[in-house]
Amino acid sequence: MATYTRNNAWNKGGNLTNPDLLWYAKGVGKMMSRALNDPASWWFYAAIHGEYVTPANIQPAFPGWKFIKAPPTVPTSPLPTKAAQDLYWNQCQHQSWFFPPWHRGYLMALEAQLRQDIVSLGGPATWALPYWNYFGGTNGSQYQMPPAFAAKKLPDNSPNPLFVNMRYGPDGNGNIFIPTPAGEAAHPGDPNFSRGQVNANYMSNDLYTGHDQVTKLPGFGGPETLFHHGGGTSGNWEGNPHNLVHVYVGYYGAVTAPLYGLMSDPGTAGLDPIFYLHHANIDRMWAIWNANGNANPTKSGWLKGPTTRKFVMPGTNGQPWYYTPDQMKDLAKLNYSYQELKSPPAPKAAGLPKRLALLGAKDAAAAAKKAPATPAKPKVTELLGASARPLKISGRVSKAAVKLDAGVRRKTTRSLAMAAKTAAPDNVYIKVENVRGTFDATVLSVYLDLPEGAKPGESRQYLAGNIALFGLRRASMKDGQHAGEGLTFILDATPVIDQLHLKNEFDVESLQVSVIPADPLPENADITVGRISIYREGF
Amino acid sequence: MIYNAEDWARLRNAVFAVSLVAWVVILLEPRASACCAVNAAGVSWTVLLAAHPPASLAGNWALMLIAMMAPMLVAPIYHIRISSFARRRARSTMLFAAGYGTVWMVAGIVIVAVELIAAWRMPGSYLPATIVGLTAVLWQASPFKQRCLNRCHSHRPLAAFGFAADLDVFRFGLEQGLWCTASCWAAMLFPMLLPEAHFTAMAAVAILMFCERLDPPREPRWRWRGFGTAARSLSLRLRGPQRDPAPLTAVS
Repeated sequence: MATYTRNNAWNKGGNLTNPDLLWYAKGVGKMMSRALNDPASWWFYAAIHGEYVTPANIQPAFPGWKFIKAPPTVPTSPLPTKAAQDLYWNQCQHQSWFFPPWHRGYLMALEAQLRQDIVSLGGPATWALPYWNYFGGTNGSQYQMPPAFAAKKLPDNSPNPLFVNMRYGPDGNGNIFIPTPAGEAAHPGDPNFSRGQVNANYMSNDLYTGHDQVTKLPGFGGPETLFHHGGGTSGNWEGNPHNLVHVYVGYYGAVTAPLYGLMSDPGTAGLDPIFYLHHANIDRMWAIWNANGNANPTKSGWLKGPTTRKFVMPGTNGQPWYYTPDQMKDLAKLNYSYQELKSPPAPKAAGLPKRLALLGAKDAAAAAKKAPATPAKPKVTELLGASARPLKISGRVSKAAVKLDAGVRRKTTRSLAMAAKTAAPDNVYIKVENVRGTFDATVLSVYLDLPEGAKPGESRQYLAGNIALFGLRRASMKDGQHAGEGLTFILDATPVIDQLHLKNEFDVESLQVSVIPADPLPENADITVGRISIYREGF
Repeated sequence: MIYNAEDWARLRNAVFAVSLVAWVVILLEPRASACCAVNAAGVSWTVLLAAHPPASLAGNWALMLIAMMAPMLVAPIYHIRISSFARRRARSTMLFAAGYGTVWMVAGIVIVAVELIAAWRMPGSYLPATIVGLTAVLWQASPFKQRCLNRCHSHRPLAAFGFAADLDVFRFGLEQGLWCTASCWAAMLFPMLLPEAHFTAMAAVAILMFCERLDPPREPRWRWRGFGTAARSLSLRLRGPQRDPAPLTAVS
């Protein structure tokens, strides 16, 4: 039996009668009472994830912490020593295979600090962070934020440290919900729920890093990197649900400047107490993924962590606590457990048999269903087509023509036509490259050959995927830790291409990609896509 | 499509092999190295230039570039390969190398000229190397250097079709060459001015420049860069793999 069990935040209705949440609020309040330069302060911990308070991170397009509208009242001084900043701050790992273990260590360190404070206030010595399982509850009803975070006062009528002003939600009005499949089912016809959907589909992945017929690039846990503070391509499960939940919770209100919800940007997200419940859930899903028999990387580059900068948190004894992914990989060995360690409602990949049947290869489909083979690894990955110029994302819809190379397209067409014989049709991906800008707080839906006048919410057969721009402005900083290369997204377009192939609409010179924001973008939203390309994977 | 460890390793090995060949040629034929070719003690300009014709100097400089710079081009060449149609990969890589090399060859005119003048006016003197060495150390720690390194890490989106694709990779090569030259000019000049121990200095500079590229982009400010990663790499080579880290007992 683990000493620390993280419980569902929706216990006792998710309000402040839930002792886990009440003590969390009190612990957060105590940490918030400390100065920015105190390693035990809430602000210091937020800066470990990422900050906009040091001169290097404050640029004209990036509002600093001093612009944050209270509550909470965020201090911007005194800054810790340069050595402390260099050791601890701006450490979060995103778009990297270190995303899961770095955040596990981050949660544990914060939790240790909170626990110490909670105990000093008379709370339980076994207190652990609750988690917000937006897929949980009867019929998935917990997609709404636990009410404790919307209450302005604690039961003793003091201000509630869990309440944050700049937390806008998908409607931009402070109503925080996650557009999950259950949420959509409960609100039929409501466009607020039919926007880019948050789901747990990638729990069916079987590779941490890499790809096969079940796992799309770059794999469940993320691409192999060195120390990587952001920029590039998110792992599948980091992309959805992690990034989407960040953006939907933060989102934006009546925007007049690039001031949007705290949760939408890694440089402000750690200031919002809901962040840690979201990440406890993400961590829980990693534990479930492992419990389902899926393996973590075994390469020493992952196990030992990056050599260029080590993962380190302030310990409650005042000494730095260094940790490696190897130490983080097994939750039980860390003396932790979760109230629920079961799979969320089985989101299964469509699978090869279903696809083969769709492509008319009925015998091959039956054989694949009867004797499922180890998912095949692709033999070749090559460019199939690309857009000619950058695409500015604005307003309601932005479109780009992606010209296809006739020779490569023929290979894919042939593989789809020969599916009955080979049982290994090509996979096709859309790569949305070098997305740069300053507006993180939106979700973009990417469609392929969406007919004129089609309503996005009702045209999912053309949808390649949804992308959240969490981390955009940090990844776009020219002197940031990713040299301003921006974000890159890989979307599995195979189902859409299959449909186009069956309608004889794939054998064309170019395909049109439509990028549609969940809500029309504000005029000052700055987002540019460097290139949109299409790749084939042959087996 | 994106980074793949096996593809990366294949490309890295190929690029390193090219670099190694250049190093072997330099080691076997010291006269083929730009920084060792000049012996100007007491001769006139005319004799000096007759002994070291520009074509020979250019060839030697190019060889030195291949040896020292090729390992730093793995990342941009990888970017080109995953961004290009399979049939265009070799052509695009060559065009990139042409752009990159053009910048360094132009820079080489100045650098080799400085080497010649130093060898002519102060043969056997350590003074030019000392001055440039100190400048290189200062430059190495400066925020300007970091800005250049950050730009070296930036990879532009590339056109995929036709002349636009050719132009884009050539421009990409020019950009990478410019930022690389701006970043490394002083370190490259230093070994060329040394009256002796050229190879050792060249190798040390090559290792330092390679290691500083392994570090991620960061905020431009005064700091030592490259040395830490070089020391860690060297330490790993000497000590072998580290033992497994101690198991976590508690976050205290």
